[in-house]
Amino acid sequence: MSALTKKEVELALADRFGAIFERHERRPLEVFPTGVREIDELLFGLPRGAITELHGPASSGRTSIMLSALANATAHEEICAIVDCDDTFDLASAAHAGIDFRRILWVRCGHSLERAFKAVDLILHAGGFGFIALNLCNVPAQVVHRVISSWWFRFRRAIEDTPTALVVLTPVAAVRSCAALILELKNEGSVWPSTLSLVSENSNGRFTSPDTTARYLSLVPLTADAKEHPAQPHTHFLQAMKIVVNRQRPVELRPGKVKFNPQLPVR
Amino acid sequence: MFACIYSRAVPKSQQKVRNHDAEAPSPLVDLAFTFSPLVEQTSPDTVVLDVSGQDLLFGPVAEDGSSAEVECGRNIATDIIRQSKTLGLTVNVAIAANVDVAIHAARSIKGVTIIPPGDELLKTRDFSIKHIDYSLVAIDENRAAEIQETFALWGIRTFGDLARLPLAGVAERLGQDGVRLQKLAQAKSDRHLHLVRPPIGFAQSLELEHAISEVEPLAFILSRLLNQLCANLNEYALATNELKLTLKLHDKTEHERAINLPVPMRNPKTLLRLLLFDIEREPPQAPIIAVAITAEPIKPRSSQTGLFIPLAPEPERLEITLARMAKLVGVQNVGSPELLDTHRPDSFRMQRFTVPSSPKQPHCNPQSTIRNPQCVMGFRIFRPPWRAEVWTREGKPTRIDAPSGDTRLRVRGQIVCASGPWRGSGDWWRRDVWARAEWDVAVVDPKSEEGEVLCRIYRDVTTEEWFVAGVYD
Repeated sequence: MSALTKKEVELALADRFGAIFERHERRPLEVFPTGVREIDELLFGLPRGAITELHGPASSGRTSIMLSALANATAHEEICAIVDCDDTFDLASAAHAGIDFRRILWVRCGHSLERAFKAVDLILHAGGFGFIALNLCNVPAQVVHRVISSWWFRFRRAIEDTPTALVVLTPVAAVRSCAALILELKNEGSVWPSTLSLVSENSNGRFTSPDTTARYLSLVPLTADAKEHPAQPHTHFLQAMKIVVNRQRPVELRPGKVKFNPQLPVR
Repeated sequence: MFACIYSRAVPKSQQKVRNHDAEAPSPLVDLAFTFSPLVEQTSPDTVVLDVSGQDLLFGPVAEDGSSAEVECGRNIATDIIRQSKTLGLTVNVAIAANVDVAIHAARSIKGVTIIPPGDELLKTRDFSIKHIDYSLVAIDENRAAEIQETFALWGIRTFGDLARLPLAGVAERLGQDGVRLQKLAQAKSDRHLHLVRPPIGFAQSLELEHAISEVEPLAFILSRLLNQLCANLNEYALATNELKLTLKLHDKTEHERAINLPVPMRNPKTLLRLLLFDIEREPPQAPIIAVAITAEPIKPRSSQTGLFIPLAPEPERLEITLARMAKLVGVQNVGSPELLDTHRPDSFRMQRFTVPSSPKQPHCNPQSTIRNPQCVMGFRIFRPPWRAEVWTREGKPTRIDAPSGDTRLRVRGQIVCASGPWRGSGDWWRRDVWARAEWDVAVVDPKSEEGEVLCRIYRDVTTEEWFVAGVYD
């Protein structure tokens, strides 16, 4: 008995089962903008119904993107959730980013990874949330590596075909194939041209001056050189981003480079 | 069939008051409710009850048809008389197929009167026209006196006299009032009972024969009570936003719990799960011997859905999720944050999370009025702050070593850039006064592959200790 090829079997059954054997192209996922112009120009936004991973070392801009996306989502009256594994969500910077706290469910997990994953699972199954952020930034990389894959598969299964976007912030890549979009962020250094002058001004004891109540750490576009603005005391916080797109979960992508320049809050 | 109970002992002054919706039910109404749930209080001395369908309770054994119905009515009437005597009431009882005929018969004939269907006119034709109840056909007292005078002039003395008059003539002279009165006299009136509602009580309780100490058997009891409670709420088209659970314990103490709901609900399954989550979070300290649940009734929520309304969690599911989450991480760790109006760093409080019902209004939230078109840099705050060892030169930090609780996380290295100090203090009038000098520093660890880490560190001025407040990210 000669072995039948897959093609022959499909042809034989085509009359009865129609076109179910045909390969269907998955349509691109719906996205919602992050509010970071540079990223939105490139990616259109973060995908809904899928997991997005933002990973990178400290000071690489993960939290900045998350805050911007949260602010954008709450501005569009979406209900959002932050599952904060290590209780590091800063409300002052979140308020400065423009987040509407009435639409934020904040879950503080008390440094417990297990609780954080269970909380995300509960929120995903409750349904109705537009944006969920799982913040694992302060979890050691070794611990994040040891997270069993079944959690990510479970989340991917729970979130697909829903309008919810799950964003996971980690120090190292952990979600792997379960993520539709992976943004690897890297801090390439900072340049503080006017720091010394500020320090000397402060060390003279003139703290009561209204000018010194604000921090001059606002950022300028990365393309601009500090020498072009010698009078402005500002910090360049250079951040690079590498984008990995999961081919099985297509996200539309425009070719180009990412320029990302978050602004430090003025207090 | 309808039974009318007329109490001969009620004073005349009270008889004139029609009392369909009496708040405090009279003994007569209580007596009627022991025989039927369908009761009308026609006046303080008169109640009518629907006794149809009680053949199995009061009917004869081997009879059927109209005679069986009459026999059943007779048994009911006898039982009513017997029970009224135990209550100290002196009553007349009339059973008839027509409500108004039963009322007039009970008021006119002492003792028990049974009027078989079809014999109504035969029984009522000799009743005095003075005893006709004008209120039954919605005629006020002045008009009733006028009509009564007319009847006297016409020589109408009994129900039979009025019933025999030509309809056209009555309608021409007395109008629709006369027509309705004649129908009443002819026993042809047809109306429904104005039912007395039993007092509304949204409380259920159960005393247990054996004390229970586990959640599972308690769940069955709560389920039963909540089903009844929600059925009552449903009957009155109400819902509840507050549930009070009282558990009497074996050590003669009480364990009370109250659940406040952000939206009115009446789904027993949802309420049961919320109660169980609450009990599991704070279980009673002794076995339970009695359970009582009280619900605060309010109008159910009404919401208009639409295509363009943003996505939001379903309130019932959200409540269950929040209850589960509270069990998982603690009530104080789940909610919606709110910044406090103070300069003290990281001052906030957690509020109960609810889905905002009203559409968002611009500038309604003062905490989010600062809008930046440009993305702002995020900050991750350490709670509690990491204690740090900082080396300084001329007052400026040059090197830092700050281990966290986890040995794998630390901020350590050379400070390549620093901005500060930014001094702040407050609450000097309180015991927990705070004063700090903050620095923004860029730290480079030569042993680490990571680049610069931009941190916020501060020196506690009161203790002269250094801490890492958080990391810019």
